[in-house]
Order: sequence, then structure tokens, then C-alpha cells
Amino acid sequence: MADGIDAYSLFLIVAIILLIAYLLMDTFTKKPKKKEYITRELLKCVKCGFTVEKEFEPGDFIGLVKDKCPKCGGDLRVEGIYSVEKEKILKPGKP
Amino acid sequence: MIDFFTIEPVEIEPTDIIKRLDHLVRTTDESVKRMVDATIPHVGKYEKTLIESSLSIVGALNTIYKIVRHYLLTGERENNWILIMQLQFQMPMIMKLVNTYHEALDAFSTGKPIGDAAGPLTVHRLIENGQVVSRRVVDETSIIELYYKDRRVFVIKAEGPGSNVGHPGAVLNKLVEDLKGSVDLIITIDAALKLEGEETGSLAEGVGAAIGDPGPEKIAIERAASKYNIPLRALVVKMDLREAITVMRKEIFEACYKAFKYVDKIIEEETMPKATVIVAGIGNTMGVPG
Repeated sequence: MADGIDAYSLFLIVAIILLIAYLLMDTFTKKPKKKEYITRELLKCVKCGFTVEKEFEPGDFIGLVKDKCPKCGGDLRVEGIYSVEKEKILKPGKP
Repeated sequence: MIDFFTIEPVEIEPTDIIKRLDHLVRTTDESVKRMVDATIPHVGKYEKTLIESSLSIVGALNTIYKIVRHYLLTGERENNWILIMQLQFQMPMIMKLVNTYHEALDAFSTGKPIGDAAGPLTVHRLIENGQVVSRRVVDETSIIELYYKDRRVFVIKAEGPGSNVGHPGAVLNKLVEDLKGSVDLIITIDAALKLEGEETGSLAEGVGAAIGDPGPEKIAIERAASKYNIPLRALVVKMDLREAITVMRKEIFEACYKAFKYVDKIIEEETMPKATVIVAGIGNTMGVPG
């Protein structure tokens, strides 16, 4: 083709348009949210084995006697400190 | 203080390299401790360990920042676009590492156990389940003697609950010498970096010293075991770098129970009653007492 656009140029233009469209789509596509973790601590009664999970408080460490057991009055000891996904924490629901 | 550095020993002359490396590592630790002591003398020992570890993380972040800045400025000054392009391609990986270190600061500033505490936590379960006879601290490392299933067990771990890795190799070597080599089994438990696709908290058992130090501690364990022909078993809890230096994930916490049961199985299968066993929980013991 002497006049107008030849096949090669047409192919190049289409390719560039597709590339721009892909880049725009990639930019505006919602990326998966970064997982959010929070630190919890597992308290366990040394007498009756009752366990409860609570929010971590700075200064706590594993083995620390933190509270009294609501069931038997025994010592509630920190059994573990770990991080869990925020969405996976069980919240007290309505009956 | 964040620009503090350690020069590696000469490697082309291997004679005494472990001794020289150990000397440099210990000198670094002592120097950082002295600097922290001089800056905040009224703060407690536990808090000081957290500050020392936080400082090393800030130091690592500062080093990354300076290296990235160096290549960027050099590329701009020399008009070297290839250099800048290489930096641009590496930025996602660099940012991933930086974010990991940044996230780790949360654990180290509040004393939460990190994934690397899997070894100390596993041996902590062993201490809880045994009948403790004695406790002593040597070289920032705890030695707890206990009776477990009719075996005499020596548990070695860094002194907690501060941020501390101790010197488990040197202490284990000294303990074996004190016992004149009459040890039937040595078990080391540590966190290990997983490969992509492997599950966080999965366990793997093997032979050798499971410890990721620069060399002096690992070789001390190997030398003690080989000198007296003591079987050396290793148990590792798998995790990635982010999980190893940030707050311990629940999967790793639960894996420590499994690791304890595994140690119990190894002790029962590999030794007879009345045997002497050394179990070393390797790693940073932050948040784990003993």
C-alpha cells in the first residue's frame, strides 16, 4: 500500500492500543487486600484446664500468671501468644 | 549506633577461623550491649534486650536504604539508565524485605514471641511436662535438668523471656564435656526457612545440628557429638522469613505442640530408660521464659 496505513503499522497501532488497555485495566483492577494480623494470647487455668483467648498486652510472656479462673478460681496462665488473621477471630454472636 | 558494623574474618587463611569469628560475634554483642547500657542505664535487662534487637533491625533497614540510594544516585550521576533499570526491577523484592523488617519491629518493641521462637517454645513444653531438678544460666543460656519418662534430660535454651539467642552450641559442648561424654542422644530443634509450596508449621526430621548461626555454635555441637560418638538428631519447624521474624503465627504455635510430641517419640524410640538426653531449643526466646 503506497497510500494510507500499511499492514505493519496497523498491527503496531492495534498492539499499542491493546497494551495501553491492558495496563489501564491492571492499574484499576482491585488487588487482593493485604492480610491483617492481630496478636492474641491464650490463657489456660492450671487447675481445671479452662481456656480463654484475649487481646495481647505489652509485657506479657508465656507462663505469666495473669488472672484468676472464672470457673474454679485457679491461676490463669498465659499458654501462648500468637498472631491470627483479623477476620478469623471468633466474635461473640447473638444466640 | 545504627551504623555499627562487623568486619568478617579473613577467609583465605582458614586456620582458627571459627575462633576468630566467634570472637568477633561476641565482641559485637558486647559492644552493642555496652552502648545500650550507656545510653539508657536505668532501663531493665528485659527491655534492654528488646532495644538491642530493635536496633539491629533499624540498622538493617538503614543499610538497605543507603545501598538503594547509592545505586540510584550513581545511576543518575553517570546517566547509567541500565543501573537504574536493574534497581527498578529489584525494587519489589527489596520492598518485600523492607516491609518484613518493618513488621518485625512491632514484635521486638513489645516483646511478642516470633516464629523463630519455635525451638525454645517446644523445649518449654518439655520443661512443663518433666520433673525439674535444677536450673542454671551459663553464657546467657539456660540449662534445665529434668526427669522425663525415666530419662535424665538436659534442656538447653536461650535465657528468656527477653530477646536473646544465647550461646547454645558452646554451652552444649561444655555440658557434654562436664558429663564426660556420657550422653545417649542430642536433639536440636529450630525454625527453618520453607520453600515455596511448603506448609507453614510443617515438621521435618533429620540428622545434624539444626541451628542457623554464622558457624561457631553449630560447629561446637557437631564437635561435641562427633568426639563422643553421640547420635545427633534435628527437628525443624518450617516457616518463611516473614513468619520467622514477625509475631508467631497460630499455625507455628500449634506446630510446637506437634514438635514436642515428636521429641517425645524420638526420646522413647532412640533411648532406653535411665539414659541421658540433651534437647536444645534453638532460636530467639523472646516471650518464652526459662
